[in-house]
Amino acid sequence: MKSLLVEVCIGTSCHLLGAQDLLQAIEEFVPENQAKLDIRGVTCLKTCGRGPNVRIDGQVFTNVTPDYLIAVIQSYLLQEEELLCPK
Amino acid sequence: MSQVTEVVKIRRKVLSEIARMAFAGNLKENVEEILQTVVTETGPRYRCCVHKERAVLKDRVNLALCQPINTSLAISAENALNMEFADIPIVSVLPEACDQCPIDKFMVTDACRNCVAHHCINSCARKAIMVVNNKAYIDQSKCVECGLCKKSCPYCAIIEISRPCERACDLEAINAGADRRAVIDYNKCVECGACKTACPFGAIGDRSVIVQLIQMLKNSDKHIYAILAPAFIGQFGLKVRPGQVMKAVKELGFYEVHEVAFGADITTIEETKEFAATVPAERAFMTTSCCPAFVGMVEKHMPEMLEQVSSTVSPMIATGRWIKNNDPNALVVFVGPCIAKKAEAKKYPDDIDYVLTFEEMTAMLVGAGINVSEVEDDGYQTIASRDGNAFARAGGLVQAVVDATAQMAPDVVVKPHRSEGLSNCKAALRQIKDGKIDANFFEGMACFGGCVGGPGTLSDYRVTSRLVDNHANTAKITASPENNTAVEEIKKGDNWHHGH
Repeated sequence: MKSLLVEVCIGTSCHLLGAQDLLQAIEEFVPENQAKLDIRGVTCLKTCGRGPNVRIDGQVFTNVTPDYLIAVIQSYLLQEEELLCPK
Repeated sequence: MSQVTEVVKIRRKVLSEIARMAFAGNLKENVEEILQTVVTETGPRYRCCVHKERAVLKDRVNLALCQPINTSLAISAENALNMEFADIPIVSVLPEACDQCPIDKFMVTDACRNCVAHHCINSCARKAIMVVNNKAYIDQSKCVECGLCKKSCPYCAIIEISRPCERACDLEAINAGADRRAVIDYNKCVECGACKTACPFGAIGDRSVIVQLIQMLKNSDKHIYAILAPAFIGQFGLKVRPGQVMKAVKELGFYEVHEVAFGADITTIEETKEFAATVPAERAFMTTSCCPAFVGMVEKHMPEMLEQVSSTVSPMIATGRWIKNNDPNALVVFVGPCIAKKAEAKKYPDDIDYVLTFEEMTAMLVGAGINVSEVEDDGYQTIASRDGNAFARAGGLVQAVVDATAQMAPDVVVKPHRSEGLSNCKAALRQIKDGKIDANFFEGMACFGGCVGGPGTLSDYRVTSRLVDNHANTAKITASPENNTAVEEIKKGDNWHHGH
């Protein structure tokens, strides 16, 4: 299965607005899901000032909070599962 | 600061926006815009209405411009741009932001079952508890807040409420005023910043001088030096290298950027000399003098202990003096994790010109459009010792002085003890004095974790403490007395002490 690409901006503007809390939330995310994720730190997603920003599978999300990030990742993973084994 | 809450985000956005406008040269024209951009009509709402939020925000902007709370923003901006610093306290309560939290200390919750035994009523010597609507009720006019009812209830139905600011303050310097808004007693406050971190409404803030500094960086022909406290390691996350931070800060317009860890070596050497000369001959024990909130606590709350405090200047002052000794045209800006340093710098106007927290410095970087993670690493190698770098975390100072003593005065016995948190420091000092703790050298740190746990930091101290140690181990020399540049600097003149 292709892993889900999650790019967390760790640029200074996003860092100031809490990017580290997002990385920590992903770290604490259930381990069996960790393998399905490809977590990368990027230096800028060109949406500074509305941070912290995250790009998931090519789509940029702004003003991301830890809870919101986990919810979005979960919905992506769920979609992928349904594609693999349709109900 | 471990978590970036909404309150923290708003504060940081205000600082970044102000810095951005100050760098762009349009602060005076556009300052009112902050009220529209940081709080939007459609954005998340935390208070009753958008007007209340903007009123709070106006207080924040004034504080960030170092102007009195009720000034109109256009005037505040103009004053700040004209290098005016209002004589406002370093730490103050934003009256509009304070939610006037309840002051009743004990409250009966819905867990009360109106039981038959009524331990609460029986336990209350003041007869302040009665049953109303099938539930215990505390008559607040009679309650003396002894807490016996809380202890007596088998359902734990009576809870004790304390205001976060009051609970955070180890020195009882913040209390509810007549209108229930928090009021700081400046005779007791040592500017540690614990209340600022604790208040979930963000109602306590420290004054900022970023606009005045940006003006200097843009217009002054002085050599403006930034000196970074050793705790700067790790503030920008795991991936950002110290060399990137040094270079990024320089790009703000500083003449040179130096480490305060160098001054920490001077402090260590001088403090070790002082220790060897005075303990136990003149005093039974000596305490450190680096943490300004700790020193402030001794000054304001235990003046009888002042004689025990080292007279050696802090690494910040030592670094400032070192730079100014070598460059008469220098202005020195200290950047650190600490709010109390703003108060310390006021006492030493000849050595330190401005103080910023890491948070303020980062807001300046954002405002200037500098992304530290994209700045090239200039491969910076620390010029301080390992021990000087380790000052950033709790225990670093003890280690430095023990190592220095082993080299400089091997016959002297150091029996160290250390504490973090002001009330722990206070208790430990008393115990050492009474002989209950066998120690002759005491390291006092107001913040948990030491400087890396300060209120002006950007990263969790448990992470940064580790990174500080990793960085310290890259130093080419181990103990402070091996730092020849520092030793030479000390030889130039004996001005590394102060009287209290």
